[in-house]
Amino acid sequence: MIQQYLLAALAGSAATALFGLAAHRLHIARFAARLRADAQAQIESLKLEQNNLDVLAEERKQAEHRLQTETAQLRAELMEQSASVDALRTALKAATDDKAQWAQQARQLASEAARLKSLGAAFERWHEQMISLMTQNHDMHAKNQELSSIVRHVVIVSLNASIEAARAGAAGRGFAVVASEVRTLAARSEELSKSYRDSLHRNDLTTTSTFQDIQAGGKMIAASLASVESMASQFHAKLDEVPA
Amino acid sequence: MITAHAKDSFERIFRKAAQARLPSSPDDECAIMPLAQTGESAAQGTQVAVLTISSIVFRLLLILHFDENDSTRGYYLKEADERPFQEAFLEICNLCCGAMNQELLRYFPDLGMSTPYVLSARCLPHLHELQPALLSSYSVTLGGTARLGATVCVCAYAPVDFIADTSAVEETSGELELF
Repeated sequence: MIQQYLLAALAGSAATALFGLAAHRLHIARFAARLRADAQAQIESLKLEQNNLDVLAEERKQAEHRLQTETAQLRAELMEQSASVDALRTALKAATDDKAQWAQQARQLASEAARLKSLGAAFERWHEQMISLMTQNHDMHAKNQELSSIVRHVVIVSLNASIEAARAGAAGRGFAVVASEVRTLAARSEELSKSYRDSLHRNDLTTTSTFQDIQAGGKMIAASLASVESMASQFHAKLDEVPA
Repeated sequence: MITAHAKDSFERIFRKAAQARLPSSPDDECAIMPLAQTGESAAQGTQVAVLTISSIVFRLLLILHFDENDSTRGYYLKEADERPFQEAFLEICNLCCGAMNQELLRYFPDLGMSTPYVLSARCLPHLHELQPALLSSYSVTLGGTARLGATVCVCAYAPVDFIADTSAVEETSGELELF
């Protein structure tokens, strides 16, 4: 009986062991299959990554090529720039030299304009000479007035002489002719005196307007020169402000 | 030589300057009447004060006719004023011409003005000898009492054309402002 039990137990154990083994093998087989599948997936993934890396390597290569091209271009540009900087430096040096010359010229211009402003004094001198000319004209006016008054007197005297000659009758006939002639001469003198007075007035106007034009023109020139002087000084001041 | 615009401008500039500077007090009325002929203005006074404004292209003579009579002397010489009449009057003439000069400077940058000089009014018939391009005369009545005459004579040496804007109000000068 015990043997039967033992056998049965053994048989059961063996069956269990077989079953366990089978289960174990199955499990291992599944595990191996899963591992294989994982490994395959990883291989696929690595292949993909490898491809990606190849693409990236290609792109990097192209980028490197582009960079090299750009570097070459930049180097060329740098060469050009440095050449133009040299040219600019030369130009700046020339401009600095010119600036000094301009400053000197601006100074000369300002001092010349200041010097020429004294021309105004010459214009004023001419205007003063007008006063002297006008004084002479006034003197001539006075003399002409005196002449005119003498002529008027002569006219009256000649009229009186004519009256006296008429009173003397036949004896005064010759004297009447002389008196008439004197009156005619006095009338001509009066005309001449009037014409001379007109000439003096015309002379007054012409002299005054001419000398006033000279005086005003002098002030106009002085004002223009002052403006030139101011502009030259401003230009000079601006040149001084510019750093060398 | 002088366009109608320029003639009108010179006349307006004269009127503005005369109204601003000829009255001895700013409240006085200043009536300016144009005269048909220069000869008529000679009747406004036996003497004339002459001033010249010169530019490169023209010269302008401002001639103010006056008589040194009681009404003119009384108008320009106040009681406290001890100056000779001519000195006071020539100062007024100077101011009037100066105002014209100031106005003309807006259109002609190069201008100069002379000092005044007194002549006999009998010189005026000879103004045509200067061959003026513009000659206009006016009768000026100040404060209803003083009478003056004025003649504007412009001789042009090149074409002159400008339009003056005389609408701006005259700026007061010589007055002390206290704050």
